[in-house]
Amino acid sequence: MGGGIRILVKDSYGFTVRPQHVHRYREYSSIYKEEEGERLEKWKEFLVQQEECARASHSKEEHTEPVVSEVTEQSGDPGQSTSEERDDSAEQCAAVSEVTAVEKVSGEEENPSEVTEQSSEKRDDSAEQCAAVSEVTAIENVCGGEENSSKKRSEGGLPSREAPSSQHGKRREVKTWADISPSLNCIDHMMSVRIKKTGNMKSRNIRCESNDLPSIDETRPSDGGSDDDNERSDTANAQTSSDKLPPETSFSWKEELASLVRGGVPKDLRGEVWQAFVGVRTRRVEKYYQDLLAVECDATDGKEHDKSASEGKKGDLPEKLKKQIEKDLPRTFPGHPALNETGRNSLRRVLSAYAIHNPSVGYCQAMNFFAGLLLLMMPEENAFWTLVGIIDEYFEGYFSQEMTESQVDQLVFEDLMRERFPKLVNHLDYLGVEVAWISGPWFLSIFVNTLPWESVLRVWDVILFEGNRVMLFRTALALMDLYGPALVTTKDAGDVITLLQTLTGSTFDSSQLVLTACMGFLNITEDRLQELRQKHRPSIVSTFEERSKGGKSFKDPKGLATKLYSFKHDHGSIVKENQTEAGLDDNIDLGEIPNLDSHSASLDEFLKGMSIDSEADSLPDLQEQVVWLKVELCRLLEEKRSEALKSEELEAAFMEMVQEDNRMELAAKVEKLEKEVAELRQLLADKKEGENAMLQVLLKVEQEQRETDQARRFAEQEAATHKQALHALQEKYDKAMADMEKRVVMAESMLEATLQYETGQSKASSSPKSGRPELQDNPSKKAGILSFGLGWRDRSKASNDDTGNVPDETDDQQE
Amino acid sequence: MGCSSSVPDRSAGRLGGVNPDNGGANDPKNLRVKLVLLGDSGVGKSCIVLRFVRGQFDPTSKVTIGASFLSQTIALQDSTTVKFEIWDTAGQERYAALAPLYYRGAAVAIIAYDITSPESFHKAQYWVKELQKHGSPDIVMALVGNKADLNEQREVQTQDGIDYAEKNGMFFIETSAKTADNINQLFEEIAKRLPRPTPPS
Repeated sequence: MGGGIRILVKDSYGFTVRPQHVHRYREYSSIYKEEEGERLEKWKEFLVQQEECARASHSKEEHTEPVVSEVTEQSGDPGQSTSEERDDSAEQCAAVSEVTAVEKVSGEEENPSEVTEQSSEKRDDSAEQCAAVSEVTAIENVCGGEENSSKKRSEGGLPSREAPSSQHGKRREVKTWADISPSLNCIDHMMSVRIKKTGNMKSRNIRCESNDLPSIDETRPSDGGSDDDNERSDTANAQTSSDKLPPETSFSWKEELASLVRGGVPKDLRGEVWQAFVGVRTRRVEKYYQDLLAVECDATDGKEHDKSASEGKKGDLPEKLKKQIEKDLPRTFPGHPALNETGRNSLRRVLSAYAIHNPSVGYCQAMNFFAGLLLLMMPEENAFWTLVGIIDEYFEGYFSQEMTESQVDQLVFEDLMRERFPKLVNHLDYLGVEVAWISGPWFLSIFVNTLPWESVLRVWDVILFEGNRVMLFRTALALMDLYGPALVTTKDAGDVITLLQTLTGSTFDSSQLVLTACMGFLNITEDRLQELRQKHRPSIVSTFEERSKGGKSFKDPKGLATKLYSFKHDHGSIVKENQTEAGLDDNIDLGEIPNLDSHSASLDEFLKGMSIDSEADSLPDLQEQVVWLKVELCRLLEEKRSEALKSEELEAAFMEMVQEDNRMELAAKVEKLEKEVAELRQLLADKKEGENAMLQVLLKVEQEQRETDQARRFAEQEAATHKQALHALQEKYDKAMADMEKRVVMAESMLEATLQYETGQSKASSSPKSGRPELQDNPSKKAGILSFGLGWRDRSKASNDDTGNVPDETDDQQE
Repeated sequence: MGCSSSVPDRSAGRLGGVNPDNGGANDPKNLRVKLVLLGDSGVGKSCIVLRFVRGQFDPTSKVTIGASFLSQTIALQDSTTVKFEIWDTAGQERYAALAPLYYRGAAVAIIAYDITSPESFHKAQYWVKELQKHGSPDIVMALVGNKADLNEQREVQTQDGIDYAEKNGMFFIETSAKTADNINQLFEEIAKRLPRPTPPS
């Protein structure tokens, strides 16, 4: 694989930066550089320290090289055979390796791919050689490492992904594999403890194959406690069989390493550090990769072998997967300089080999990106083993045919989202956005193509270090944490997704992201996730079961054949592997069965007996029977396990239903109570309203009363004034009356006087008669007026004084 | 594979209840439509979307993992606008398990195949059946034969596409994301066939 890295409009990993992000990338690239320098210092210091420790404790180990050395890349020239030449090319490469601008001559790389595709005979030869030398590899490797690093030291350059590894130039496969530098041994050791725990290669094979068997319950063959048991027994095996490793707890510096990892792995160490994390060296089985490729090659030549018939090797790569891989090669990091013809060939080989290695997964889109990424950082076979570690273990069940675990994880993530970001999820619910729409692609691609590369790699650093999917969840939650506030402002489903895509695509602040993820979500732990997965798995499995019952079946009709074949294969590879443990093949085979089920020990014994018997009798016939019995046994075991699993699942489902039921009841109660409270509140509110209304009415009444009061007072006042006026009028009237009376009296007296005078006159001179009647008329008129006045006066005076008027009346009567 | 819904009914129920806007907004002048693209791997689903949304064609586009999302708004002659929210799904068979997540509640489905690949045509028929079984009942489906520019390598006859589409009440068109042939027509035609919400009275 070429590590051609150039800086154009591309980032420092050779990936094109999206045009809209170029500006921000430029801003951050200086920060990256700064961070890179810092972390390189820290790592160097750390590794030197570890080296010293290791040297002190393991004196028998030959790692005496205290400097961070790099032996990643393939050997340059396949023709080189002496160490001198190797040194030369190392020098050359070191000179060229200006941190990023290493351009591999493609001609150099062409060869190895041809080599691997050459006839199997040749390969077998060299592979054998390989195996033969493998024991010495470590020592040689150290030498190579020493040479290289001393070179580098003298150059003053950073260790970089250049050059002829420690490996032996005369063998051409060498190119595809390189041991990691001894300075990382300590990490490697620590991590390999982890691998031993989950079983070594051979047992893995059986487990993988079994995934492919008829019952889909097999997809999780290692659930719960039984798995732990297996692991424990494995650990025991591993610790007795291989060089004794200190228990993980004794790695006091693990915390230190963890924080270093969170700070990021230096770019130039990354390839090797990742391998150390995944435990590639421990995983590796000599020749295994080459064997897989040989199968692939043969299949291309001979076409369609019957799976069960192809003795002693792995099954072919199904045509379908082959086609799919072929389709996807040019669509993997298109435009990346390293993925030229040669790069794609490597990618094809790694993917094909993996597909054959683990048929239950085969090839799943997304793996092309992972393998491609790994190939950018390490030689081909190293990339293969790293991929094996990641897919078989860290992401077990994720990319398999049914993708069960990835679906389970989606439900788990939704749970966590609801717990951590209820408001955001409410908003998403409201807009009709499902969390899995967003998180699905994130998880399946492990953020490749969704985050900027620096951030992707930083996340991968942690994932590979931790060896589980916790960081996947934490990172996704961190992204939601960072961008949730922006998301709640969106108004429709499309905007949510678009905005989030844009934002995540520009998450250049990788340190912030990793820090938020690691520190902000400490309560997301593997245990917690397992618990939640346990809760959700039954539903996914049952949906899947339903589906496979309904439509076309997913079940592999060749299950038995595969199983049979897996036995045969293991039989083969184990012999190669455990040459030291000379024993009957069958015995070794059977020795693996406990991995499937620890209860099979007695059966194991039984079968052992069988196989021994078979040696005594006519061999081929009984051998066949043994094989058949083994198959039968396997089937039975599997059936048993699947039943057990099924019942477990059913139980879990039942428990969940019960819980759900309870929850539903409670929810209903709560709802009811809430309703009641609401009703009461309503009533209260109504009453208050009524009260208010009453108050108002009262107020109105009061007001009215006040008004009427006022009106009354006003009226009273008016009445008083009227009275007064009346009074005044009365007085006036009285006064006027009195006046009038006086005048009347005066007038009377005057009249009397006049009358007297008149009578006196007439008496005195009775002259012309003619004048007399006139005169007589006049006095009568006057008397009329007088009498009227007198009458009125009398009437009004009648009540006042009666006495004084008697003469007047007589007067009147006289007239 | 005969898959129904990958995620158990729990979420299906939730979706049905809380998600009234999936079929499109209520404004009859500004429709919002969820569209899902299905079809075999490598038939050019992503290319169709990229051509429609960005007007670009990249012969070496990336593999789609899970699904990817893009949206595009077009204006019709009657001055209505239609905003397509396009979910472009991964083509590999096993990803079909995740497809229900994306086609659930979709108002439109484009089912694409490659006219040079009979296999992809079969896969398209699988998707049609799947949607008839599990998609929204009033979903508008379009059968699209892509890579029409490779006519000399054609292995699926146009008439076969037409016949199948007719039988299943679908709209049929042959497109080329590479030459942009019929891409816009495809989406315009879909827009015309959308059930319009009755204007609120």
